[in-house]
Amino acid sequence: MLDLWASLPPELQDVLFALALIAPGLLAGAMVLRGLRPLPLVGAMLRRFVWVNALFVALIAVSVGLGVGLLAQERGLRQGSARAAEKFDLIVAAPGSEVTVMLAAVYLQPSDMALINGAQYAEIAGAEGVAFAAPIAFGDSFQGAPVVGTTVDFVSHLAGPLAEGRVFATAEEAVAGAYAPVDVGGSFTPAHGHGPAAEHDAHEGFAYAVTGRMAPTGSPWDRALLVPVEGVWAVHGLANGHAPGDPRIGPPFVPEMMPGTPAVLVHATELWGNYALKSRFTRGDLMAFFPGTVLAQLHGLMRDVRSAMSLMAVLTQVLVTLSVLIGLMIMVRLIARSLALLRAIGAPLRFVFAVVWAYSAALILSGAGLGLALGWVAARGISAIVTARIDVLVTANLGWPEAHLVAGFISLTLFMALLPAWLAVRRPLLTDLRT
Amino acid sequence: MTPALHVENLRVTSREGRVLLDVPLLTLDAGQSLALRGASGAGKSTLLHVLSGLVRPSAGRVVWGGQDIAALTEDARARFRRETLGLIFQDCHLFEELSALGNAGLASAFAPARDRAPIRLAAAQWLAALGLGQAGARAVDSFSGGERQRIAVARALAGGPPVILADEPTAALDRANADALGADLVRLAAEGGRMLITVTHDAALAARMGRQITIADGRIVEDSDA
Repeated sequence: MLDLWASLPPELQDVLFALALIAPGLLAGAMVLRGLRPLPLVGAMLRRFVWVNALFVALIAVSVGLGVGLLAQERGLRQGSARAAEKFDLIVAAPGSEVTVMLAAVYLQPSDMALINGAQYAEIAGAEGVAFAAPIAFGDSFQGAPVVGTTVDFVSHLAGPLAEGRVFATAEEAVAGAYAPVDVGGSFTPAHGHGPAAEHDAHEGFAYAVTGRMAPTGSPWDRALLVPVEGVWAVHGLANGHAPGDPRIGPPFVPEMMPGTPAVLVHATELWGNYALKSRFTRGDLMAFFPGTVLAQLHGLMRDVRSAMSLMAVLTQVLVTLSVLIGLMIMVRLIARSLALLRAIGAPLRFVFAVVWAYSAALILSGAGLGLALGWVAARGISAIVTARIDVLVTANLGWPEAHLVAGFISLTLFMALLPAWLAVRRPLLTDLRT
Repeated sequence: MTPALHVENLRVTSREGRVLLDVPLLTLDAGQSLALRGASGAGKSTLLHVLSGLVRPSAGRVVWGGQDIAALTEDARARFRRETLGLIFQDCHLFEELSALGNAGLASAFAPARDRAPIRLAAAQWLAALGLGQAGARAVDSFSGGERQRIAVARALAGGPPVILADEPTAALDRANADALGADLVRLAAEGGRMLITVTHDAALAARMGRQITIADGRIVEDSDA
């Protein structure tokens, strides 16, 4: 049986799982409503206490929306961070923390790091199977946007053809990320460092002219200003990696003239070549790693957090379900007189039961539907905020996990709505009639 | 066919054991009309509730056309009310968000499919007969007290019951409306050969009935037929 399940396509598994979740509730509804027509009365009751009902629906919607939004957001963040690291096949850096290097080189979170020297870089760049090895030199900024020294190969690899202009050709030119704060044709003087501690006049007298703009990548690089690594070295008063007077930019660099770089992005000619290169440069004086793997490990470590979030979402739904149940019992008291009238004029108990259940179901389904929409809107809104804050494009769309959550919630609450319906038909008829 | 009523050794006691109703014998022929009179708390409404099966007696028999409803299950008593009785309450008990026609034809909501259309048709006809033919689509909260009670009467009659049980149907109405409704109620019951039993403090309404019974302390103390 498990083998059969495992052999099904994932989409079919999701559909079947959703159906299995919602089936008990729908089955209960089909049995309760079979042959009866309570909807006109349910509609009247909904209109009778429209504000109370609206409040009840809103409470369900908010709780369902929170659960849905939480799950969608978490997945969106995970997918966004993975997408941002996609272009970073293999990174080589001085030994240290892979996470620190990944945060600095992939997500442009500034950090003090040891440097790879010219000889080490030359060995990496010259290794068999290396298509290009791009230094990534960070430490400067402009109006909060990181200024990163690298090569033309890296610019092309990261974003493909430029959206506007051309790539840098001299050490004083720059390419702007899609949302960087300088237009093509403009210029900027970098500050040394980042954030409030940045020294704005440290590089006074030096300016980069922006010659092109990259297409959006959905990564922090969209806000970055990419410059030739030679420019970064030069602006710090260091040798520029080439022989004195040599105006060229980009590799090959003269090892003795290269000041060093915190990280090197290595792109292999063949995908499998990355593994050999990683193995080769994982040694005492160098550290090579796949950012995707480190990210997967991080996500793995965060699985507990994710499980906790999922558990919280489910627990929230359980609490809401209990609240809904208690709320429904209270609501039944509001409609007790109408129900007593129905019983008095001869309505079968099964019909009265169906009216209460359908009334509850209308509230639950409206709340869940609205909650799904609310969750989607909330996830989109929070995604926009998160994207703006961390510069990683987070797209939180509703998926099957949310559908499963809502299906489970609906099914459970529809099933539990049988209880207030049962209690309703056990209420003292005459007492309610006289209320 | 209108069933006759035969009540025998009927007792209703409270949980504390106090006797609320003690009726050794009460019979009523099909098509008769009866007014139940007495002071508040005398037991009139309790008797009406027992006769309608809303209250199960502590002892005795309540036989309608040969069927003792005291021995029936709750669902069977509901079915008896649905098929045999038309109930009218003092304060109308209408669904405020439904139209006049929706209220008058309320029984169509839970009637068997084959009976739904006839009930709705009858509801419209009874509303017309009670002077509300043009107002069937209006929400009931826009009607006066007298009109609301007429809608309740139309609801009681829509299912074509052979017996009408009314609990103070004119108590909430002014004199003119009470007289008009009382006259209509008695006329419509008589025209259909229906039995009409009404609890009332209204001497004018009671006077329209073929028989009057006065109840005090749960016992019949006066019977105009005796």
